Amino acid sequence: MDENETGPAPDATGDAPRERVSARWLPIASVVGAVGVVAAAVLRPGGAPPAAPSAGSPGAAPHVPPPAQPAPALPQRYARTTVVVGPGKPGEFRRSLSGLALGPHDAIYALGDDEVRVFEGAGRLARTWKVPEKATCLAVASDLRVGVGSSGRVDLYSDTGVHSGGFAAGTRDKPADVTAIRLVRDEVLVADAAARVIRRYDLRGTERGVIGDKNKTGGFMLPNRSLDFDVDRSGVVHATDTGRHQVTSWTLDGTMVASFGKFGMTKPEDFVGCCNPVNVAVVPDGSIVTAEKMVARVKVYGKDRTLLALIGPENFDPMCWHIYVAVDSTGRIVTADPERRTIAVFERS
Amino acid sequence: MSETTTRRQFIDRTCRVIGLTALGGAAGLLARRASAHAVFQVDPVKCTACDLCRTSCVLSLSAVKAVNEFSKCGYCRLCPAYMDVTSQPDEKGIPSGKVCPQDALKRRVVGREDPDDPNNNYYEYTVDEARCTGCGKCVKACKPPAGNGSLRLEIRYDRCVGCNECGILVTCPSTAIVRVLTPGLSPTAAPGGEPHA
Repeated sequence: MDENETGPAPDATGDAPRERVSARWLPIASVVGAVGVVAAAVLRPGGAPPAAPSAGSPGAAPHVPPPAQPAPALPQRYARTTVVVGPGKPGEFRRSLSGLALGPHDAIYALGDDEVRVFEGAGRLARTWKVPEKATCLAVASDLRVGVGSSGRVDLYSDTGVHSGGFAAGTRDKPADVTAIRLVRDEVLVADAAARVIRRYDLRGTERGVIGDKNKTGGFMLPNRSLDFDVDRSGVVHATDTGRHQVTSWTLDGTMVASFGKFGMTKPEDFVGCCNPVNVAVVPDGSIVTAEKMVARVKVYGKDRTLLALIGPENFDPMCWHIYVAVDSTGRIVTADPERRTIAVFERS
Repeated sequence: MSETTTRRQFIDRTCRVIGLTALGGAAGLLARRASAHAVFQVDPVKCTACDLCRTSCVLSLSAVKAVNEFSKCGYCRLCPAYMDVTSQPDEKGIPSGKVCPQDALKRRVVGREDPDDPNNNYYEYTVDEARCTGCGKCVKACKPPAGNGSLRLEIRYDRCVGCNECGILVTCPSTAIVRVLTPGLSPTAAPGGEPHA
């Protein structure tokens, strides 16, 4: 390219070459200098933060949102490793998925489409059997008995689906709204959301006691009308007290021994929304897994009830009322998302 | 005339009875429809609480109001339709802002009140219709799974003027305004309610 076409016109003085160089480098130097000034201003310790939108600006929110806190580095991380049940997979649930339990050999028992489906190994559908319509929950005992709860009733099955018994739950004038059950030794524990308590029955349906009524309100606070619980190895019952935003722990004789949790929208260890956590499971080492709705997420609390891990909402449908959770013998967390009708396994990474 | 009924006579009488019964039923149905009033109402399943009910009604203060269905309500202490859960928390960690811009959603403790621990209280939420503009912000915040979906928008017949030019019906983007027959119910103008020019 001819320099004269775009460059400055040649000068008759001896300084012409130097001026030409200066003129050529001046824009570049200006840009570099400007970048340097900006970088120094940004990187300067204690420098002014970026301007926040004023309260009166057109796009301002009606209320000042709480200060966003950086996500803390939690001691444990979980990653989804397997989708056991989901669209297109064997044993897919087409209409509903309303319960999850693990057998003693970590087989996955799922309730949905008015059936119990048992998945063994890496999601192999082993067997299914019919259960009452609109069954709401299920549990598996260590001796492989299976309990299925529905409105006002509990039914018991063998591991192959043979009906072995059942009884009416609740009272005659107020049938139990059965939202969770557990089979513990020779007892069936039934979460009765209508009466806001957990009822203890023997296998014939004779009531042996009530858990959760020895407090100021005579029961759990359940604005969302759902009560979930799990029982640890020592026989302590850990239940969701959603209106109080707590998990409360009870002995089988109905004495409250511990509680943790509080409402909060900013700290990840707190429980969000009107009524959380909605589901709970106990880890063999004494840790507790909770599930929340709106924001749909699963959290792991250690034995001292500090937050250890968080499985984020990107893993679940945002419209979930529940995320059913269970923990297998190796500490893997199994979740059932009733909106997407998927069952997934999360492992520590 | 024979005392025994012939087959022809039997069929004839049966047909007459069936015909008269059908005629009576149709007349009753027509009378029922004639006594009924066709009114507009909001289908809560279709309604998205888009805020257009507030501005599209021919009345300056919309005839659409939020109502709380108590059988569905959770009586929450931290009601997401009452409190703006994203607002700045107060010293007790409770959100300080309210969802309703008109402060039309009111609450009171029902049952035995525990002044020491408000977590032990149940709260009943009612709508002050004089303040409610029908914007639907509370309805949207109460939709599941955040809430139980007990709040919904409803055309109040004591305010609807029955203008037969329902602006909400025309505007509603989700076709949630439906015409229903309500026997014996007559929409009347609200005191002080005036249509737009």
